[in-house]
Amino acid sequence: MADSSPIVRFDHVSVRYPGALANDDVSLAIRRGEAFALVGENGAGKTTLMNVLYGLTRPTLGTVTIKGEAISARHDPMRAMAMGVGMVHQHFKLVPSFTVAQNIALGSEPVKNLVFYDHKKINSEVLALGKRFGLPVNPDDIVDDLSVGLQQRVEILKALHRGADILVLDEPTAVLSPGESDELFEVLRGIVLKQGMTVILITHKLHEVMQFSDRVGVMKQGRLEGIVNTAETDEHKLAAMMVGREVLFDELRTGRPTDREVLQLKDLRAQDDRGLPAVKGIDLTVHAGEIVGVCGVEGNGQTELTECIMGMRPQTGGEVYLSGQNISRLSPRQIRARGVSYIPADRMRTGLSAEATVMENLLVGKQRQKEFSRFGIQFRKRRANAYARELSEVFDIRAGGIDIPMKSLSGGNMQKAVIAREFSFDTPVLIINQPTRGVDIGAIEFIHEKILQKRAAGCAILLVSADLDELFRLSDRLVTLFEGQLTGQFQNGAIGKQEISYYMTGGRQEVQA
Amino acid sequence: MSGIFNLLLLQNTLRTATPVVLCALGCLMTERAGFMNIGVEGMMLMGAFFAVLGSYLYGSWVMGLVFAIVLGVLLGLFYYVFSITFKSDEFVIGVALNILAGGLTVFLLRTLFGVKGSFSDPGIVPLPTLHFTWLEQIPVLGTLVSGNTLLVYISWLLVFLCWLLLYKTPLGFHLRASGEAPEALRASGVNPDRMKMLASVLCGILASLSGAHLSLGYLTMFSENMSASRGFVAVACVIFGGGNPPRVFLAALLFGFIDALGIRLQRYIPSDITSMAPYVVTVVMMVVVVLMKRRKKKIRQGEER
Amino acid sequence: MRKWRLPAALRTLIAIKPKQKLTAQYLLSLLIAVTLAFLVGAGIMLLCGYDPLICYAALFKGALGKPRAIGNTLAKTATLCLTGLAMSVAAKSGIFNVGGEGQLYFGGIAAAVVGARMAGAPDWIIIGCALLAALLAGGAYAWVPGILKVKLKVDEVVTTILLNSAAIYFCAYLANGPLKTTERGISSGTDSVAASFSPLIKLSNLNGSVFVAIIATLLIWYLMTRSTTGFEMKITGTNRRFADYGGIRADRLMMVGMVLSGMLCGLVGMIEVFGIHKRFITNLSNEYYFDGMLVAMIMRYQPMGVILMSFFFAVLNIGGSAMELSAGISSEVILIVQSVIIFFMAAQGGIRQSLHAYTVKRRVRRAHAREVRT
Repeated sequence: MADSSPIVRFDHVSVRYPGALANDDVSLAIRRGEAFALVGENGAGKTTLMNVLYGLTRPTLGTVTIKGEAISARHDPMRAMAMGVGMVHQHFKLVPSFTVAQNIALGSEPVKNLVFYDHKKINSEVLALGKRFGLPVNPDDIVDDLSVGLQQRVEILKALHRGADILVLDEPTAVLSPGESDELFEVLRGIVLKQGMTVILITHKLHEVMQFSDRVGVMKQGRLEGIVNTAETDEHKLAAMMVGREVLFDELRTGRPTDREVLQLKDLRAQDDRGLPAVKGIDLTVHAGEIVGVCGVEGNGQTELTECIMGMRPQTGGEVYLSGQNISRLSPRQIRARGVSYIPADRMRTGLSAEATVMENLLVGKQRQKEFSRFGIQFRKRRANAYARELSEVFDIRAGGIDIPMKSLSGGNMQKAVIAREFSFDTPVLIINQPTRGVDIGAIEFIHEKILQKRAAGCAILLVSADLDELFRLSDRLVTLFEGQLTGQFQNGAIGKQEISYYMTGGRQEVQA
Repeated sequence: MSGIFNLLLLQNTLRTATPVVLCALGCLMTERAGFMNIGVEGMMLMGAFFAVLGSYLYGSWVMGLVFAIVLGVLLGLFYYVFSITFKSDEFVIGVALNILAGGLTVFLLRTLFGVKGSFSDPGIVPLPTLHFTWLEQIPVLGTLVSGNTLLVYISWLLVFLCWLLLYKTPLGFHLRASGEAPEALRASGVNPDRMKMLASVLCGILASLSGAHLSLGYLTMFSENMSASRGFVAVACVIFGGGNPPRVFLAALLFGFIDALGIRLQRYIPSDITSMAPYVVTVVMMVVVVLMKRRKKKIRQGEER
Repeated sequence: MRKWRLPAALRTLIAIKPKQKLTAQYLLSLLIAVTLAFLVGAGIMLLCGYDPLICYAALFKGALGKPRAIGNTLAKTATLCLTGLAMSVAAKSGIFNVGGEGQLYFGGIAAAVVGARMAGAPDWIIIGCALLAALLAGGAYAWVPGILKVKLKVDEVVTTILLNSAAIYFCAYLANGPLKTTERGISSGTDSVAASFSPLIKLSNLNGSVFVAIIATLLIWYLMTRSTTGFEMKITGTNRRFADYGGIRADRLMMVGMVLSGMLCGLVGMIEVFGIHKRFITNLSNEYYFDGMLVAMIMRYQPMGVILMSFFFAVLNIGGSAMELSAGISSEVILIVQSVIIFFMAAQGGIRQSLHAYTVKRRVRRAHAREVRT
């Protein structure tokens, strides 16, 4: 199966950025024809290492050898591709308005008559390529109109078109449903076995590693912790290597929800940014002292749902009730006044102002309160500063002061700031979307504690997350969202992660009474 | 009525629209590459001046154009270095460029030629007018097409070439990608910054040439502020045209038409009002375009439900 | 081998620190920018055969030498300060008012008309009403592109620029047509106003209007730096989506910024009419708003910075004209100097980054070389 001469070798590679050591003396050899998985938590350095291979990042120290040839000091994607490395990125590098063929050909377009794009030639090449690897696509489709799964296919074909025989995939299943993921792995297996290519998979999902790879390399905080044969390990051991302690299986910490219905959604409907229906009739109730977790692969209407409830997106149908009051067509301002706070999924775009100071970010929403505004005219800076410092301490926000711009904080601290602000409104309802995305493990624990505290205080919490572990850890009830509709509702403890995946992907649907 | 709406009006339309067309094509290049250049007004003004300078010094319109093109390349590079390499605010750099243009041209006018207000001299050689005798046989079209100065024809050619470049050649694709998805382009091995530099240089050349048309096209002179906000109208045209060469060309023609019409109507309406008209119309057009887009979106959404 | 380190000032300059308002770093860059600009100016002067020292001496003398000069400089400072703040109050809220010239013209003509029609009333009432008229006219003319931006997302930079030309032409039409004065000896312009600001320094442009300017400046400064509305405006300007999400009335605040901006410009128009020309004339403003815009852009729309910089630019402006008279060099060279300052200040962040990246690379290379040797 795999031959023993290394096709890619990293020798004492270090990548240093100002203030951070992304890769610390990593030495690794990848064999020709193997399926190699590189695992680690967010920020462990997996993507950085592969970026070095692909020429997107220059190593501070160390050398990389591809097929026996060392990479030059001027290594870039062009050269990497020439050496046979193809990379499929987590965030697709596609041009939305171009066709599939144009995207696949980008940078190496065939020309006729010296100047013009040879449309016919590339189309036939794309069709042939699709057939050879089992990834059929229509060359004239506009990429923007394609589903995420198909877009990924185009990404892969792009790499293959350049003659890659070393394929690197960076978190490919982050945006796929379990069914699509299985399909992908089948194709990759075929590529490895039948075509003799090498596949390097970057992931933090351990079950994928077990399912797909021959060997696993574990990275932790920039260092390579170790390499093991997949057959000789299991998820527990890998998790232990990744984090240094067992975090996989936590005890369920359910609360005691009351009977009081606080948030009610009745046949809620909304569209996405393109005008296509994204939320297609959702009925849901959240009680005081309860956490309802919404499980679903990203892109099934979660963000549209939460934005809709919060008044940030117009509803096209249905109603939202807050303790009996209809808050359906109100603005965010009015909804907040009635007792709802929202932690958005995209903190940089929606939840914070990068340029404003920490204090200003924390005070938004309170600036008109009597405590901070004299007669609604003068802004009481001193009091605001004191409050901001207090809040920072309570929520463990580590910043160099409260008057520095928000953007100089780390991701975890920024997220804590958003949470600090939203939680400090002490509203009866909390809508939380991806509370711990891009946050380091210490901060995750902290944030989870805070959420549980809110539940204990009697809040009604709607929790949306792409992380099943998080949902299972915190929720009292779980609902599954697929293509804008709820496909199932379960008490936590009554269903397992594997089974709930089927509901998340429309494979199964619970018959609603 | 026929005194106003006649062939002469259409001829004037073409000639008045040309600087806007050229400038708009330049703006289109940078817009497609992901950055808007409002400094084109200043580039146009400087192009007008240097074209006159070149023509005067060497007694040749060719040198006038050469001066304008070289200036355009330099300005394009300058704008690129400041906006992209030094990551300055495009708006600030654009405005500063306009101020610099105003100051520099007046300064040079006074220092080099020793005049204020405008410089006109028999030593300035204007652009040649081209007559196509075989076309002149055709009744209406003949008189329209034949008899314009060089840059008018070049501007038409350039509209076609720009369209061809952007939609039919890999280089054009790269340019569009550098604005729409620069990371995708980078990962494909093409440096998006280089594309932006190309776009900026093309923009500089085109804006400068549009100025050359102003000063060497029909008038053979340079006067202070002769660009008269045409650069901004060009920017507006690019916004209307959605970055599509033929549509931008039509928008510029519309502006030219209103402008030429205004001049015709000066017999009946005070000149200040007619001068004001093109600007007001442009603003109205911008609003109309936005409203139309909204209606289209609503209709499409209604259909899908 | 002795380690060579960059001079401390340069090191401070390129050390990348999170940007705060007007830090020492920024001010240092400003100093360098001004020096560079003066050097460029000197270069141009030399090329044209003038002695830079004589020219610059004439400049400063012309701006601050005699009481009359100081008066003119202070008057110019007031104008620049008001237009600079006009740009800033809108920009901070996220809306770019490039149409200040037009708003200035409308303010001026409205004040002139009201002022002329009210002959017979006490001075302070005339001035008060004219002031109101100017504020209303300027504010209203800014309101239009503002509402188009806020409701229809029509780009305000392009609309305001186009509306500038429209306003200037329209006012010219009025001044030469329906509102043309019948007074003898005046070839164009409206009737003269019945009151005016009395001059503070003889023969200079400095008059009582400077007090109005000071009050307006203080009010805007307070609004932007100390008030709750100013806080909300800042948030709206930095991240519109965040403001909406946070319950801030972003639309309303952008409109407030825009209308206030227009009102300030209208005020400047009124000051020009009542303080200097005593009537509306067709070339009321010589790009006053653009000069103010420059100041605002360089000082990053921070009120304190704008106020201070407007004095400096006023010196350059007034000094420039005086320099032309006494040393002979065309005053436009000052515009060139000013644009160099802007270019450098706009690029200073990026230049610092490039320099920083370069020194980091050098350090890395040296470390690498050291490693290889050991």
